[in-house]
Amino acid sequence: MAEKHSKKFDVEITVDECKGCGRCVAACPKGVLRMTNKVNMMGIVYVEAANEGCVGCGACFYTCPEPGAITIYELDGGENGE
Amino acid sequence: MSEDKRLLLKGNEAAVHGAILAGCECFFGYPITPASEIAHAAAEIFPKLGRVFLQAESELAAINMVFGASATGRRVITASSGLGISLKQEGISYIATCELPAVIIDIMRGGPGLGNIGPEQSDYNQVVKGGGHGSYKCIVLAPNSAQEMCDLTMLAFDLADAYRIPAYVLTDGVIGQMMESVTLATPRPRKPVPEWALAGNSETRRNVVTSIYLAHDDLEQVNVNLQNKYAEIERNEQRFETYKTDDAELVLVGYGIISRLIRTAVDALREKGVKAGMLRPITLFPFPKDALRSLAAQNVTFLCVEMSNGQMIDDVRLAIECSRPVNLYNRMGGNVPGVEEIVNEGIKVASRNPQERLT
Repeated sequence: MAEKHSKKFDVEITVDECKGCGRCVAACPKGVLRMTNKVNMMGIVYVEAANEGCVGCGACFYTCPEPGAITIYELDGGENGE
Repeated sequence: MSEDKRLLLKGNEAAVHGAILAGCECFFGYPITPASEIAHAAAEIFPKLGRVFLQAESELAAINMVFGASATGRRVITASSGLGISLKQEGISYIATCELPAVIIDIMRGGPGLGNIGPEQSDYNQVVKGGGHGSYKCIVLAPNSAQEMCDLTMLAFDLADAYRIPAYVLTDGVIGQMMESVTLATPRPRKPVPEWALAGNSETRRNVVTSIYLAHDDLEQVNVNLQNKYAEIERNEQRFETYKTDDAELVLVGYGIISRLIRTAVDALREKGVKAGMLRPITLFPFPKDALRSLAAQNVTFLCVEMSNGQMIDDVRLAIECSRPVNLYNRMGGNVPGVEEIVNEGIKVASRNPQERLT
């Protein structure tokens, strides 16, 4: 199991696709995501990946109603990740 | 497909699988949340199977492509959400008048106007009552799970072909975007091209697909024929599901995601001593009038639960000719009522004395 934990993930929000519904913030088990007080191109308050600790579970990706707003990367580079 | 093939799918994706299994050959659409996954899945699957996927430049273009493909006798599908359906209404009126089969999926979102991307049921009137210009109607199926998104999409193709009518699959953003396990049915055998279809050759030269009739009497006859067809559909195709209605005094009525909440609420109400039951319309046109009438004859009180301003409640009242009290509990704007809210409302309605309830 140690191997599994050594994998690093990164979550990226495509700001202009975000409609600010906050479902991903509620879904994230690690508190990685949070609502900002900034607005995107559409004038909508959007979500950002504020903290480290993404475990790549995909909960935010699957709950997001906007296809293309959330991308999760599995990082190369073994234990350190890059 | 191998036997008993189960997949974990969003409702929207399940509808695309249903379309493929039903032998649908073309998808024309324009993306919109919360129906975009339908276009995504179709873009992925259709071309691999040698079928047509095309993202049109607009909803209007998409529905007219559906019109054209349907006139050639091909099974064809499109999908959208509230505002996209508003744009498609002109084309749907043409398709209905030309008596062509087509399947349209409407994943309802918050409205009116641009609204939001939360779930709602506020397209009921524009879909179930016809919606566009002229005296026409479409068959409307209301799935409440990813499995039914697949199964009822297949059924929609069969009914559309049987009656030569556009058929809607109408549901809310929750059912469209919720992931569930889906068992795929056996694929339908390929259908021969019907004899009324246009092929642009000498054999089909005498086939006419049109919705313009300049002589008033001709157009009246077209209208009469359409109404006769709708009457036949109302006689033959009413579908519904009941739950614990045999001894019920309070019947909750709802479709889509609401029906799943109601089912839980019925059990909770029974634990609290209220004899509750559920009626879920599976077809919204034809509305299950006969089932409602026989419930009304049991002297039940109705409680319609909706995610709109109370659109389906009109049909419930009309079906039972206002012979029993019909109450409304609704949420709007993308909010889904909680089971507890529904239970509390059920207790409130049930605690009124029968005389009060009738007013």
